[in-house]
Amino acid sequence: MASRLSRVWPTLSRVRVSAALGSRCVSQTPKSSASSAAVASDLQPVSPAAQDSHGHAEVSPFEKNPDFHGFHHHDSFVDEWNMRLAFFFGISVAIVIGGTFIHYLPDHGMRQWARREAERLIKQRESEGLPLMTENYYDPSTIVLPSSGEE
Amino acid sequence: MLKVLIPTIMLFPTIWLTSPKWLWTTTTAHSLLIASISLMWFKWTSETGWTSSNTYLATDPLSTPLLVLTCWLLPLMILASQNHINPEPISRQRLYITLLASLQTFLIMAFGATEIIMFYIMFEATLIPTLIIITRWGNQTERLNAGTYFLFYTLAGSLPLLVALLLLQQSTGTLSMLVLQYSQPLQLNSWGHMIWWAACLIAFLVKMPLYGVHLWLPKAHVEAPVAGSMVLAAVLLKLGGYGMMRMMVMLDPLSKELAYPFIILALWGIIMTGSICLRQTDLKSLIAYSSVSHMGLVAGGILIQTPWGFSGAIILMIAHGLVSSALFCLANTAYERTHSRTMILARGLQIIFPLTAVWWFIANLANLALPPLPNLMGELMIITTLFNWSPWTILLTGLGTLITAGYSLYMFLMSQRGPTPNHITGLQPFHTREHLLMTLHLIPVILLVTKPELMWGWCY
Repeated sequence: MASRLSRVWPTLSRVRVSAALGSRCVSQTPKSSASSAAVASDLQPVSPAAQDSHGHAEVSPFEKNPDFHGFHHHDSFVDEWNMRLAFFFGISVAIVIGGTFIHYLPDHGMRQWARREAERLIKQRESEGLPLMTENYYDPSTIVLPSSGEE
Repeated sequence: MLKVLIPTIMLFPTIWLTSPKWLWTTTTAHSLLIASISLMWFKWTSETGWTSSNTYLATDPLSTPLLVLTCWLLPLMILASQNHINPEPISRQRLYITLLASLQTFLIMAFGATEIIMFYIMFEATLIPTLIIITRWGNQTERLNAGTYFLFYTLAGSLPLLVALLLLQQSTGTLSMLVLQYSQPLQLNSWGHMIWWAACLIAFLVKMPLYGVHLWLPKAHVEAPVAGSMVLAAVLLKLGGYGMMRMMVMLDPLSKELAYPFIILALWGIIMTGSICLRQTDLKSLIAYSSVSHMGLVAGGILIQTPWGFSGAIILMIAHGLVSSALFCLANTAYERTHSRTMILARGLQIIFPLTAVWWFIANLANLALPPLPNLMGELMIITTLFNWSPWTILLTGLGTLITAGYSLYMFLMSQRGPTPNHITGLQPFHTREHLLMTLHLIPVILLVTKPELMWGWCY
């Protein structure tokens, strides 16, 4: 089943996708070949300056500007500065400086202190031979209970 | 709070007064600065409660991670939209960024609100920019249907909430979260009270979404442009979770019995939506159903109302927000190149785009909850607390984890591995912008491994 599909798929995909991609493939075979006779894009002749719905020309932006960063299609100056500022504010300021700020935040709720204190007490009590914790939180001799059988 | 809110409101003059050449540069830089300032919210001034300078807007360990996530997401949305919005006329570009910034403002006020009515108003207000983004800038005709589903599902859920809040105001005299957390437990013993209980939660369950009322989500996520999908998946779903956690304070003791059917629905939803993911041909639809699956786990964790459940829910919300948004960005890069969301169309990409394959790999590993990422930590905490509540839930959650791993790997293998079809070799290389976008998504997830106490919430 899969092998049948893989035999049929390349032709199918070429027909469907070249209709969708149309003018955007960089390497384009001449339209007169037999396989493209059924292609929908033949109905509207494709010129090199043809634009698809997103205004991208047939030629990749990397041809005009090999250092294209994806920010601005026509002005390489704006494209480069957009890239620099995005990286600076995104990584150097937000992640690095922001991350340092977060790293040095105070110990909220004394959780890290509680862990250190517990480890310290455990070490101390084990070395002294004391039990880690007494069973009774309150001293039982101080608890006054009502005697049973009355009221 | 104002030191973030005022710069966010000043984004509007920035958008409308900048010259067209520098519009995207300045808005990206401005919003990244706001995101950096928002990190100051992590410095809580009180050990146990709210941090506030006035009584209207405050932050506490529950709302702070969500607020920072919201502020972090705006520059990411601007980065993601830059390519496909650029060809449009300049005023429409400005309008698009204005909608994103207004969403940001409403969300900051929603998460920072101390009055529940203010939270409700902001909760509703976020619907409007999102609806405009989906229906105006979506790419297929189904976007109208999607907008309708999105709007009316949420509205139908939140109208009972308004009535319930007004009743609550009537009986307790206040709707301030600062005060309500100390109020006497309410006498909840009649059928009317049970309906009130349900009315309080339905809006948030629809927003999360809970499995039975989730139909709006795949439509809205798929039809929205990339920024719409990002904000929907990362933050707007979490509004539902956040609202539930705030309302739970007042809803005891009824929640002990009444939460039962919703927990079961949530758990069943994990399995069902996970299974649907395995059968998807549309990439964005797969990620959307994956969101429903993860949020089902979050809903279960919140409805259990234990400290581990709440902490696990917050951690999973933050981690899922970042990772799901990253996946939508990756799906958008494939969409911008092939103009199709069909998965088998853009396959075998690893050979052509090796660095992007790394991002796909990390994002999918995070989605399937790989240790030590916070996705796993949140899921484990919720699974543990559910197991403590009833041991039988391990069957559902365990199977859910398995299916999650299944579809995440399916997504990765389908898009990256395998033979590269011939039509892929002509695709445009990846831009620096897209790589930056992915790193800005994934680095915070990895950094959160080192300091999870930012996300543990106030229960721990």
